[in-house]
Amino acid sequence: MTLKLYADRMSQPSRAIIIFCKLNGIDFEEVKIDLSRRQHLTPEFREINPMKKVPAMVDGRFKLSESHAILMYLACVFPGVADHWYPADVFTRAKIHSVLDWHHSNLRRGAASYVLNSTLAPALGLPLNPEAAAEGEKLLSASLMKIETVWLKGKGRFLLGSFQPSIADLSLVCEIMQLELVDEKDRERIMGPHPKVLKWIDDTKKATRPHFDEVHSILFKVKEKMKKLQSDGSVGESTRKTSPRSKM
Amino acid sequence: MELKVYADRMSQPSRAILIFCKANGLEFEEVPIQLAKKQHHSPEFAEINPMKQVPAIVHGDFKLFESHAILIYLASAFPGVADHWYPADARKRAKIHSVLDWHHSNLRRGSVGYIFNNTIALAFGLPLNPKAEAEGEKLLLASLSTIESLWLEDGPFLLGNSKPSIADLSLVCEITQLEFADEKDRERILSPHKKVLKWMEDTKKASAPYFEEIHSSMPPGIAQLKALKAQVISQLSASKH
Repeated sequence: MTLKLYADRMSQPSRAIIIFCKLNGIDFEEVKIDLSRRQHLTPEFREINPMKKVPAMVDGRFKLSESHAILMYLACVFPGVADHWYPADVFTRAKIHSVLDWHHSNLRRGAASYVLNSTLAPALGLPLNPEAAAEGEKLLSASLMKIETVWLKGKGRFLLGSFQPSIADLSLVCEIMQLELVDEKDRERIMGPHPKVLKWIDDTKKATRPHFDEVHSILFKVKEKMKKLQSDGSVGESTRKTSPRSKM
Repeated sequence: MELKVYADRMSQPSRAILIFCKANGLEFEEVPIQLAKKQHHSPEFAEINPMKQVPAIVHGDFKLFESHAILIYLASAFPGVADHWYPADARKRAKIHSVLDWHHSNLRRGSVGYIFNNTIALAFGLPLNPKAEAEGEKLLLASLSTIESLWLEDGPFLLGNSKPSIADLSLVCEITQLEFADEKDRERILSPHKKVLKWMEDTKKASAPYFEEIHSSMPPGIAQLKALKAQVISQLSASKH
């Protein structure tokens, strides 16, 4: 197999690419890089991606990082990928670029910061940070509002009013799925005001089944583990001093 | 089809697009949207870009915002744009996408975090924020090191290219925003990065005379803001005594 995907299914952009490949029948080898075990910091992985981040891709000898670049590359070079994922039409394509660009500094920045600082940090050996979580939530909510009122405007059920999903839908929905890790009441509070967003997430899941659910199953497993650790009292202040390996 | 570019020359991504258009001989109308005068908040501009940000373009009746999307669109839609700006080769193109993506959360985030909280906030009637400024500077320095050692490893342009791409324009225009900072701070931040400095010069030369022309609009605004900053700082220290 010439295509290798270096991924951690706990990473939102990693999931988007895995789902995309499975849906489109793209043959690939999934190489797990466990972030909680700092495997992204090894010298071997540095050879693959000097930015030390997942996801990363190697196609033959061609190395590539950054999930949007990877999704666009795969859509272009693999035959049999339906046009709606990354339309050839220059206007539609430009609009997809614009939502993917907007995503970095808006939904991704807000959601990732909120989830990390309110919930996920201890699993990565970091302290929780309520102040940063509040800032993240503010940006996350503003971003969800933009998706509700701007990006989901139009006749279709997907971003940019499209009738079928594109790589942008996959990328953004996988980001929002990370909220499954936070407390249910917080998630409801944040997502509740956005009915179009909730429907769009559901439509994207349906359009990409069964792979969407399968690839996301890790989130629910991790959530259970975290709940157990919390009730055992071993996650919190005391974990700051213990090594990351002992946590999961 | 008529092309309108809604831009503020004080905005880094606006500059990248204006330089690109001029360097490629694209016919367009520059519509100034002055951020300091809150023109991006007008209902008319919200029709152009509901995100209320510059730059934005209207080409015929096609509207687009986000500078990387715009640069890619212009390179694709206009004949006569030389291939090196946005190569047709899938792998070369993918590498350009990857540095443009990296840019958002690294160089741009660091640079904006630093410069906004060091000076530019005042233009919007907001206070300076030394803590956010320091955080921004840290990320900015890390990003410049990454450009120096990785993106410019095989030089002279990003990704070992011998001619500039839209990525070079985008990133260099971000770094020129450091003109808003004090000269000694700018020196301190940039001087350790010899390859970066050479690359900035090379990019300027490759898009001459437009690079210089677009950037020449900055000094009056910079001087005004620096004067305001000096005022604010002396007021703050006066109120402490």
